[in-house]
Amino acid sequence: MSEVIVAARGVEVTLGGVPVLRNAGFTAAAGEIVAVLGENGAGKSTLLRCLAGLHPPLRGRIDVLGGPPVDAAVFWRRVALVGDEPAWYPGLSVQEHLELAGVVHPGGRLTVGAALEVFALDGRADMSPLTLSTGQRQRLSLAMALLRPSRLLLLDEPERGLDTAFRARLAEILTGYADEGGTVVMATHDLTLATATRARLVTLEAAS
Amino acid sequence: MNPARAYLRSRRGRPMTWSDRYAMAFGAGLAVVVVGQWAATAVRGLAIGVDAAGLGPVLALAAVSYAGYLAVARALGPVVLPAADAAWLVLSPLPRRSVLGRSAAVLLVLALGGGAALGLAVLSAFGAPDGLILRLAAALVLGAGATVGGMAVAVLAQASHSWDVLLQVVIAGTVLAAVLVAVLGGGAGRQALLAVAGAPAAAAVAAAGPVAAVACALAHRAWTTLDRIPARAILGSSARTGRVASAAVTMDPGALTWAVEDEHWRGRVLGSRPWPRLAGRKALALAWQDWRRIGRRPGRLAVLAGAAVLPAVAAQAAGGMSAMPAGVLLAGTLAAAAMCTTGARRDAADPALARLLAVDRRALAAARALLPALLAAAWSALALAGLAAAGALSGGAWWLLGPATAPACAAASLRMAGRPPVDHSLPVIDTPVGALPAGPLIWAVTGADLALLGCLPALVALTAPASPPGSSLIVQALTAAAVLTAFLLRQGRSGRESAT
Repeated sequence: MSEVIVAARGVEVTLGGVPVLRNAGFTAAAGEIVAVLGENGAGKSTLLRCLAGLHPPLRGRIDVLGGPPVDAAVFWRRVALVGDEPAWYPGLSVQEHLELAGVVHPGGRLTVGAALEVFALDGRADMSPLTLSTGQRQRLSLAMALLRPSRLLLLDEPERGLDTAFRARLAEILTGYADEGGTVVMATHDLTLATATRARLVTLEAAS
Repeated sequence: MNPARAYLRSRRGRPMTWSDRYAMAFGAGLAVVVVGQWAATAVRGLAIGVDAAGLGPVLALAAVSYAGYLAVARALGPVVLPAADAAWLVLSPLPRRSVLGRSAAVLLVLALGGGAALGLAVLSAFGAPDGLILRLAAALVLGAGATVGGMAVAVLAQASHSWDVLLQVVIAGTVLAAVLVAVLGGGAGRQALLAVAGAPAAAAVAAAGPVAAVACALAHRAWTTLDRIPARAILGSSARTGRVASAAVTMDPGALTWAVEDEHWRGRVLGSRPWPRLAGRKALALAWQDWRRIGRRPGRLAVLAGAAVLPAVAAQAAGGMSAMPAGVLLAGTLAAAAMCTTGARRDAADPALARLLAVDRRALAAARALLPALLAAAWSALALAGLAAAGALSGGAWWLLGPATAPACAAASLRMAGRPPVDHSLPVIDTPVGALPAGPLIWAVTGADLALLGCLPALVALTAPASPPGSSLIVQALTAAAVLTAFLLRQGRSGRESAT
């Protein structure tokens, strides 16, 4: 049996007294892709934040890679999170952001050149990320997460801003990551992307 | 009034009542009384001879203020509109001058007010031993001419690249003149400045005429250019000013600096260079981002180097070494260190990239302290050498205090970089100097507290510079090293606290 990477049981979260998650839970094994679906406000992003150790649940238990998630460097060396657009380091180009990820995480999955090509950013390598379009910046976020080695990938709406053609390519990239033994948990509204990655679907119901 | 504005005004809430008019008139009257009292006192104080010692520093300060006025006008627009007007009126068939006319009128009033203040400041340095009314009138006309003309050039620069280049040359020239006056005003240039101060009042009046004529011509040209200012320039400057206004309303200077920083890099082609291979030094590799950024903004380093004369200027103005020049020295050193902590600030505001890069927090803080410490040491040493050259410090290698204070300033700058936005929910505290809001106060002292604590031995030695700084130097170096060490240890602990 594959190693369990994520195990969430009976997770309950309230925000400002309003229940956001009620009795949510699932498990994800090594090499598996899990797509968390649900309408707006169902708690998909909140569940991902709980898995990343950024939001403690009111009740329930979460284990990631054999223990509770912690917001510390030792955890983030094994887990990569792509959520809202990050604040880019000023003065660095697209390529230099990728180089930085490669230097800080030696033994990466991709070279910088390959990442630029795979994520269709090679024509924008010398530009500031602020100059890119929304979809290109999302590709850069994904490239930084997928260039480095990790065992778990947490993606919050990875399809945000991406064109249809690149969504198909993203499905291939994520499938390749899972084939190497990595686990992907993604919150998404794109059922086509979830299906293309052969993801196991977990649907959240609105808690209130 | 253009029809759109007339419509908007007609829909803007209730009409003005007599009570509103009374409040407005009372406020205006009160302002006239307060400002008039201050102006009358200032004018009475002008009827004296020139203060030879303070002439150079005051003129340098006036020149720097004028350069700052032009730089702010250029950075903000200067022609801007409220967000709603920018969104709806600029991209409409209305004549652009009628849309921008009110903004232009506000700029003219601001320029006239600034010009009066500038003229009075310069006249207070030169003094008016005779012909007070003539000299005062000439100073006001010259000041207003400079500010109105400068604002007109800034408006023209908004519409034309060649005027923008001219404006940048004027700003750079004014800063250069300020530095020359500050450096030479106390020595070789003092006679020249005294000769200008001793010129008859008629000469000032004669100079005021051409200046006023040129200012009027520039203002007229700027007014006719309002129709041709491109929409993109108005929209861009209005968005920038909106961010400034928002930062001012929420009292969050951090938001303002990010707006300026992002504006600088947006649209630039940077020319990627390979990242240095620092085997096993992940923290240093991540901290290298600040080195690369500062290397790509050499202009800032040049301005920083030029600003090293300010403590010497302050010492000249204060008549020797005292708390004021020491404070300027500490503030400058802290500013030099804080200039290169954007990586830490970015990660504090949004830790998404820091999580993706997953570097140990304490090791990263230590690596990020290197560049601020280096810049603080260099700037402080330069400024102390300037103080010694100006005669404010004597009898020893005072410049060594610069490197000795640098670790404390590096720790302070990183503490500033990590502070959260102003917490406006905190209460207002009653103090002997009045009510102070706790949120902005805590925000302002976070970081400065470490600098003050870590540089205390140097500050004590500088405010009473009777002997060479030998023993103070050792105490200062040990104190600064202790402050940095404690800060780094605290970083590691707070990292573990947030992890649990």
